[in-house]
Amino acid sequence: MPEQMADTPPNRAASTVDEKQFALEQERFQRGVRMATPFISVAIAVLVGSLVILASGKDPVAAFSAMFFGAFGGARQIGETLLRATPLVFTGLAVAYGFRSGLFNIGAEGQLFLGGLAAAFMGVALGGLSWMLSVPLILLSAMIAGAAWAFIPALMKAKLGAHEVITTMMFTYIGRYLVSWIVTGPFKAEGAIPQSPMIPASSQLPRISDVFTFIQPNRAHFGILIGVVAAIVVWWILKYTVLGYEARAVGFNPTAAETGGISVAATTIKSLCISGALAGLAGATEVMGVHYRLFDQFSSGFGFTGIAVALLAKNNPLGVVAAAILFGSLSAGAGTMQLEAGVSQKVISIIQGTIIFLVGAETIVSWAVSRVRRARGGADV
Amino acid sequence: MRSKSSKIVALLLALAVMASLAVGCAKTPAPAPTTPAETPTTDVKAAMVTDVGGLGDKSFNDLSYAGLQRAEKELGVKIQVLESKEPTDYESNINQLATAGYSPIFAVGFLMTDTVTKVAPQFPDVNFGGIDIFFDPVDSNVIGLNFKEQEAGYLAGVVAGKLTTMTDADPRINDKKVVGFVGGMEIPPVQKFEAGFVAGVKSVNPDVQVKSVYTGSFTDAQKGIEAGKSLIEGGADIVFAAAGATGNGTAKACKDNKALFIGVDSDQYNTIDGIGDTILTSAVKRVDNAVFMTVKEAVDGTIKGGENKIFGLAEDGVGLAPYHDWDAKMPQEVKDSVDKAKADVIAGTVTVPESK
Repeated sequence: MPEQMADTPPNRAASTVDEKQFALEQERFQRGVRMATPFISVAIAVLVGSLVILASGKDPVAAFSAMFFGAFGGARQIGETLLRATPLVFTGLAVAYGFRSGLFNIGAEGQLFLGGLAAAFMGVALGGLSWMLSVPLILLSAMIAGAAWAFIPALMKAKLGAHEVITTMMFTYIGRYLVSWIVTGPFKAEGAIPQSPMIPASSQLPRISDVFTFIQPNRAHFGILIGVVAAIVVWWILKYTVLGYEARAVGFNPTAAETGGISVAATTIKSLCISGALAGLAGATEVMGVHYRLFDQFSSGFGFTGIAVALLAKNNPLGVVAAAILFGSLSAGAGTMQLEAGVSQKVISIIQGTIIFLVGAETIVSWAVSRVRRARGGADV
Repeated sequence: MRSKSSKIVALLLALAVMASLAVGCAKTPAPAPTTPAETPTTDVKAAMVTDVGGLGDKSFNDLSYAGLQRAEKELGVKIQVLESKEPTDYESNINQLATAGYSPIFAVGFLMTDTVTKVAPQFPDVNFGGIDIFFDPVDSNVIGLNFKEQEAGYLAGVVAGKLTTMTDADPRINDKKVVGFVGGMEIPPVQKFEAGFVAGVKSVNPDVQVKSVYTGSFTDAQKGIEAGKSLIEGGADIVFAAAGATGNGTAKACKDNKALFIGVDSDQYNTIDGIGDTILTSAVKRVDNAVFMTVKEAVDGTIKGGENKIFGLAEDGVGLAPYHDWDAKMPQEVKDSVDKAKADVIAGTVTVPESK
């Protein structure tokens, strides 16, 4: 939406038909470049990764084909990709929703930990119930926990102007160490290992292939479907509800929104809490669908990767799903790449970093594209 | 004009799609080398999965890999290592290796307990080894590889307990009968090191006091420095750290404050730059030996699952590293005491406690 709001032709003074048409075309072109940037960035990142692999004396074609096979080569591989995409869908949505209302929720990781904590605790507590009751209750409590963890920074932002980048980040540390303490102390399973007790089957999200047995066995669980539903709901909220309109308006221009009768403070709090609730779901689905318990390192920074996912998706909720699957496939294919082509998995981090850099520095890509275009177009105009 | 700009966009999109497709298409000619081969004993393929610490941790991931590399060199086995970036990788890494016909497969670190327990029954022909994992129950193709950290700690305690009263041996030894212990997190391997250390100190000199500090971290060197400093200010002249990278900070504190240090896990004389004669020795955990021995059993065809092995001094699974720069000036009395303690433990005349 901010993009649409920014869509006023750059050259209002265009008087002649030609100039007007040129301005229109220019603008249409810019929009095209904006839409293409993620794709170009991924292509350039693959190129950079290839150079690194080449420099280390390995075969980039073999490496990437192994990676592609490891990510999409069969039911098991696709399952791995979806499994790894699942938490990123939620954290990507969390960050994207924040961005759309002008908030940089850098602390999705902390909200994720709280969501995971709530899910593990409720999962164990609701042990006797039918899954039809316990699964929705657990998901709901994880959303509340994530939202609550975002509420305090949101309140500080709305009432005191404390910047959410600082406060949500600090709350991430508190959340992580809180979980670390809880699994070594009060909520530790029997035995030597610092981890929570296992949640019972009725609290788990089953694997899709366990329910639909015509699908070959793989690890993808129902969390990915919940993620897709969440993406559609977020898209709908942003596009068709007052809540979403207010969020976008505040994100686009808080002063104008305030003048227009929207409470910036209230919208900030609502948006950051929704963002936190989405991040909380990421923690819940990891606990309920992958590990079935909580431990210190159960997230490897999904909250932070979510920022990259949101950037790549240009904060479009449906784009988040695609971006999360891309990042999931990189992660799923990395092992196969190391196994079959002998290429270190660190190459994957280089590719991810390059994508993030290029998407973040969108102007570089559009500048390069327009240079190429001008060079070609000059002859023909 | 209009069609031109959309043409360019379309072209760019097509390029991006083609780039990603080219990657995929190239796969077709290469046959998937994942067919599990019947492995005759000469054709053993051994592999390991690191925990999220990855290679380069200078601790059990690297030590396990050293064991595999030795097996590659001496036994001619093919080796493979898959690093885990996140806990989600554990199961897929182990699964891939098992599918590719690797056996034995080592899972490094107790965080993989659930995963090995879950995956092992799906691959009855593959042997799985768990480093620092005590399986309960233990499947017939699973071996837990655990260590008697307390026995290594005990020998370190003998060195510290003896030396702290020998003020003539080195100017850094004070007249106070105090030695220090720095622990990482309070988990069993660390607690066993501590218990053994205390028992070792008391066995040679009951008057010596052991002061312990737990930092709660295996990675924060600054906490190690502070813990070391506070122990040294409290009169400790020898500090034993079982705290991973946090212990490297303690080594620095010892060097800067003229005290002596005892390392852990690997021979830290080699892993801490410029430590020189600040380090007396290290209480080592021979993860490499345990891995090598297990691979050798696989090659010999004598590998047997279904048990938790515990490697102690007797099995060369734990021990004391060389004295290095201290070798010449270490009093013979200390060396003799260590040798006697080692013999006693191996003979079973001394049993080192696992907890304080």
